[in-house]
Amino acid sequence: MKSNKIFTALLVLVVMFAFTSSVNAGGKVYKLGLSLAITGPTSDAGNPYSKGVEDYFKFANETKILGDDKIDCTIRDDQYKTDITKRNFEDYLDQGIVLYLNYSTGSTLGLKKDFEEEKIAVIPASFHRGNLENSNYIFLPVASYSEQVIVMSEYVANNHKGGGTPKVALFLHPSAFGRGPLADTQAAVKAGLNIEIVEVVEHGKDLDNTAMLKRLMSKGVQYVISQTIQSPVATMLKDAQRLGLSASSFGEEGKLTFLGAHYTGGNDLIALAGAASEGYFWVCSYNLTSEDTDGTKQQLALAKLYGRDDKAANSHNYANGIMVAQVATEAIRRAKAAGLKVNKANLHKILNGMNGANAYHPYTTVGPVTYSPTDHAGVDMLQIYTVNGGAFKKVGVPLQSAFMGKIQ
Amino acid sequence: MSANTWLATGNFYTTYKQEQKTFFTSLDRSVFTFFLIILFAWPLFFPLSNKFMLVIDNTLIAVVAVMGLNLVTGFAGLISIGHAAFVGIGAYTVASFCRTMGDTHIIITHFWPLMIILSGLVGAGFGAIVGLPALRLKHLYLAIATLSFQMIFQWVINFMTFFNQGQTISVGRVFWFTGKVGRKDHYFFWYYAILVVVILLGFGFRNLLKTRYGRCLIAVRDNDRAADAMGINPGLTKVYAFALAGFFAGVAGALHAYVYRGVGFESFTLHESIGYLAMAIVGGLGTLNGSFWGPVFIKFLDLQMEHLSEAIGQYLPSGMNLTTAMKPFTFGLVIVLFLMYESRGIANWWRITKSYTKLWPFRY
Repeated sequence: MKSNKIFTALLVLVVMFAFTSSVNAGGKVYKLGLSLAITGPTSDAGNPYSKGVEDYFKFANETKILGDDKIDCTIRDDQYKTDITKRNFEDYLDQGIVLYLNYSTGSTLGLKKDFEEEKIAVIPASFHRGNLENSNYIFLPVASYSEQVIVMSEYVANNHKGGGTPKVALFLHPSAFGRGPLADTQAAVKAGLNIEIVEVVEHGKDLDNTAMLKRLMSKGVQYVISQTIQSPVATMLKDAQRLGLSASSFGEEGKLTFLGAHYTGGNDLIALAGAASEGYFWVCSYNLTSEDTDGTKQQLALAKLYGRDDKAANSHNYANGIMVAQVATEAIRRAKAAGLKVNKANLHKILNGMNGANAYHPYTTVGPVTYSPTDHAGVDMLQIYTVNGGAFKKVGVPLQSAFMGKIQ
Repeated sequence: MSANTWLATGNFYTTYKQEQKTFFTSLDRSVFTFFLIILFAWPLFFPLSNKFMLVIDNTLIAVVAVMGLNLVTGFAGLISIGHAAFVGIGAYTVASFCRTMGDTHIIITHFWPLMIILSGLVGAGFGAIVGLPALRLKHLYLAIATLSFQMIFQWVINFMTFFNQGQTISVGRVFWFTGKVGRKDHYFFWYYAILVVVILLGFGFRNLLKTRYGRCLIAVRDNDRAADAMGINPGLTKVYAFALAGFFAGVAGALHAYVYRGVGFESFTLHESIGYLAMAIVGGLGTLNGSFWGPVFIKFLDLQMEHLSEAIGQYLPSGMNLTTAMKPFTFGLVIVLFLMYESRGIANWWRITKSYTKLWPFRY
């Protein structure tokens, strides 16, 4: 008899637990999916990015940003392989996602037609401008790589020391991701941007860049703008320092000043290049934790809340992940507030209307997210940072490219 | 021997021709026919989601590619570690037509069976060219020659603007008698298309092994000098083996291009070549059925590990790194375990199972 009572009590407890854990107090659950490289190539960026997405959605659910409704975002590793990304995407569609978060340039380009057919809004971690060509559903989180490289080129043109046209070399990743800004930068030069592109280097996996750096010097190159990932830049910076070719201040004559776009910089670069990273100029649309702002405080608090280590908490790719999750959450919130059904079509519509007074201001970025049917690049503002005393510090105020509008 | 093939209790051949039969008994033929019927019928009764249909399509494509690899490495004994490049040749044949004529050109969308055959032939051509070093090289040196082909392929695709510098080249949707194959039926349609290819090539493979040329392959693998003394031309046999492997790989590449509706460089890297080799080893080198077991095992192991990682990730969110690392770790571990404990692959388990059931319930 006694054992029967115990059994009944246990059964009740199990049933109660099952219900409390699975039922969402009457709220709706919105399915989202993220496929990215948590392992394999570029996982150094993908890993903190995934943590940013995971933490923010968890935070949004726990703090009831969407009321009783919740976001259920499945995150899967695709090892930077388009085949696996496609499989993940198909799975997410089967699950009924309302918005999709993608990662690499290759897979975003590869699945572009699927996005169009499915009419689903997609926010990738790739800022490749080619993603937007013949596409109505891809939304870049921030200004494209092209715009980043052109902003850097403009900065060079405006702050060049010495006479004549500044001579620039582009140091590119040998892929669509790296090559993307080349044609746009060349077009900007044709449109009047006052720099001379002396050489375009597509780097391999070189462990020594002595020959390349000497060659650039012999051609009179004064500025090297990189569009790649951190490790080849770190190797180049260390070699330049070893050879005594690094400029001690921006544009120092007879020396090389190094600059780069989003994925070339951040704390990982400082960790890899050490003292050689001093004086490296980097452009990014995100607030960095090396600068004390309200936004970075919130980022660090979020990381602390979910027990992230310092490396992840201070990564600009963690901020990047938080930001796309913020945009997705905000789009759902606005759709609900407007009395619209949260579905693929309405989220696409809401994102397209995120401009003017409706622009969205996430705490992670240096400017507002502004999308429209003709502009799918989110944050247009770019902040230049430079390594000073082992940390990235702001240089001036956020700016926008003057030439990008002329070449589009 | 009983005149009734259904009652036969053994194989009592009286002519060589009898020995060449594909099915030794009527029961063999019936079981196989039943198996084929199941393969064709199950998607109609148990429809799967797009994700799983894609996994199955992808597995069948890998079966085609691994059959080719098994031919050159398993039967001819020539190590090839550039097989993904041959698959890539097939895919980029389709992509080249898309680049020059547009991805919705009638040749791409309506004459896709011809495109698949053409891709196989181009793959065979490249296979023959890459096979030429096999006339002079053996073992590890030949492996390095095939590796260099893989590197050349990657470099060419990655740098030539014609190939979009490795970025995805779109492939249009195909047409069937019922009209355009839409997104909803895409993977379902390609399941049947690839299944037909697998069956045709599987029979072709099996019949090839019964021909003079099939026996030449094995003779050259076992001892090329002895084969030469017997009147076999080892050089020609090796080049021919590479050409045939290239054909299978080219067909697989074209199927890949159509199923994924695009061709991108990442699907044909050295990593993929090693993956094909792993499938051949796990399945069983030098066996036809090993070409089926290997891809099925590796692809489904991959998927199951993904599910396991996800399940663990639910309980250990910050342990995501650990759980995602399980996939590559398991892949490596499986290959090592097979090499150590079952170098003849799953095909050997199949052989043991078959011989057991042949005698069951009798012990001897």
